[in-house]
Amino acid sequence: MNGFAAGLWESLVSGSKLIWPQIFLTFAATVMLWPADLFVEKARKHVWAPITMVILALTGALIYLTEPGVGFSDMYKVDGLTKGFQALIVLAAFLAVMLSQKLLDALREQTVEYYALILFSLVGMLTLVGATDLMTVYFSIELMAICIYILVAYLRDQNRGVEAGLKYFLLGAFSSGILLYGMSLVFAAVGGVTTNLAELNRLLPVVPQSSSLLVFSGVLMVLVGLCFKVAAVPFHMWSPDAYEGAPTPITAFMATAPKAAAMGAFLRVFGTGFAGVSSDWMLPLSYVAGASMILGNIAAVRQQTMKRLLAYSSIAHAGYMLLGVLGKGVDNAQAVWLYLLTYLVMNTGAFAVVIILQGKGEGERIDDFRGLAKRRPFLAFAMMMFLLSLAGIPPLVGFFGKFYLFKLAVESGLTTLVVIALVTSAISAFYYLGVVNQMYFKEPADLPEGAEPEVLSTGMTLIVGVTCVLTLVGTLAGPWLVNTMFRITWI
Amino acid sequence: MATMNAVLFFSFLLFAIGCAGMLVRRNALVMLMSAELMLNAANLNLIAFARHSGTVTGQAFALLVMGFAAAEVAVGLALVVALYRRKDTVNADDLNLLKG
Repeated sequence: MNGFAAGLWESLVSGSKLIWPQIFLTFAATVMLWPADLFVEKARKHVWAPITMVILALTGALIYLTEPGVGFSDMYKVDGLTKGFQALIVLAAFLAVMLSQKLLDALREQTVEYYALILFSLVGMLTLVGATDLMTVYFSIELMAICIYILVAYLRDQNRGVEAGLKYFLLGAFSSGILLYGMSLVFAAVGGVTTNLAELNRLLPVVPQSSSLLVFSGVLMVLVGLCFKVAAVPFHMWSPDAYEGAPTPITAFMATAPKAAAMGAFLRVFGTGFAGVSSDWMLPLSYVAGASMILGNIAAVRQQTMKRLLAYSSIAHAGYMLLGVLGKGVDNAQAVWLYLLTYLVMNTGAFAVVIILQGKGEGERIDDFRGLAKRRPFLAFAMMMFLLSLAGIPPLVGFFGKFYLFKLAVESGLTTLVVIALVTSAISAFYYLGVVNQMYFKEPADLPEGAEPEVLSTGMTLIVGVTCVLTLVGTLAGPWLVNTMFRITWI
Repeated sequence: MATMNAVLFFSFLLFAIGCAGMLVRRNALVMLMSAELMLNAANLNLIAFARHSGTVTGQAFALLVMGFAAAEVAVGLALVVALYRRKDTVNADDLNLLKG
């Protein structure tokens, strides 16, 4: 064996212990697709949901067991940030699979590909949050996105599904082109020697004057590309359409897992790679954050369907989370993680209620929630808790996450943005309470006979129950949450 | 350094054509090609500057990008075919069910 091959082999062997979760996921998903699926009859495809959940639980255990370290020529790093965000992402996928099972049964759309694609996209996300090289960042973003394009268009017999998938794909391809061109400009600015984030951080502030325009435009384009992925204004136009057209469990998944992964990448790329040239991106990013809060919350007011309302609310939440990126520093990253955790709980709960009510795919209008308190008191109460928590009303868990994030943002000197965040939070309470008003103070519409939904199962009840309890008493777990949060560190 | 500026200028031109294509053309297939053009503009930068500095990082990056571009096109074409089957069109302006 020559020197190059020997070096490559050695790097693979020493690095592979960092990516056991990804290796396991890839292997499991591939075996699921072939040959395991050959042995499952068409009528019994629903067994893939519990199997996927087991795989995800094992992946979670592997993530827990992975030792921190750096590998693959400094292209991938496992530290507190990586592990914390990976745990969030796996949890989000687990909940999404749990939500999927009954709905896909009702739609008669159970296939192994659905679950395998979730697992493959997960590989991308898990790698993305540990990426310490522009190359790793790019290819993990692509892996994540390509799988999600397919999942959005999963209901290919519905016009909306295909339309949403293609729209998301075209805008996603556009954004990844911009992201990559930005990376190539940054690479050119440092003279074409490295794409490593730590190296870039050292080289970027000292580039010659003639290249400063390259640095500026490169960093800005990377910013635009990542903003597309977290759906921040003005790069959000794909998100309401994709959210509405996708199967609802995938919507719940998209609102949490890829967002968490992209936020992790944001923290990593801008917190460590471009930290030295922060004067180039601080102002544009703060405009993006402010615009997301304002436009996300205002556009949500006039939405007619629940999925679009939650889409705009997730745009606004992305704006809040960008405060943590703007604040820089480890403690802000911790606050973003905590925020994502609380967001995951309440958002999954809200989507679970939507799935239960929407039955076979149609009827997710806000009008459908009319008089829900009379028909389904428990569901209505749970939904009210999720919505109030999304609005950030104390003592619910959403308030806890928001409070921490805003407090740190004020300490980092982002007072104007925090004022905008507080005002827009008040606006958001208006449309969340509008739904509560429909549920509690309006007469139920006359339902045709037999129109009761069929997507109720033990799993769904469990999710709604558990997330509702967590939303209510999550704040009591505050000390524990904060303790866990402090493990989100850069090594 | 003059040659590097020429490379940057040329790649910017390619990128601008790709961007304009994405924004102006409404045929999904042409938009797909424009996206490829944007990726190739970036590839050109990566390869030229890797050659300039004598390191291989950029070249490896460009190879990876080509692989991903192929995967992306495969998914994109599949979506375009799915759209064509349902609506008999590949025009992005006819994607008008979802609004708001």
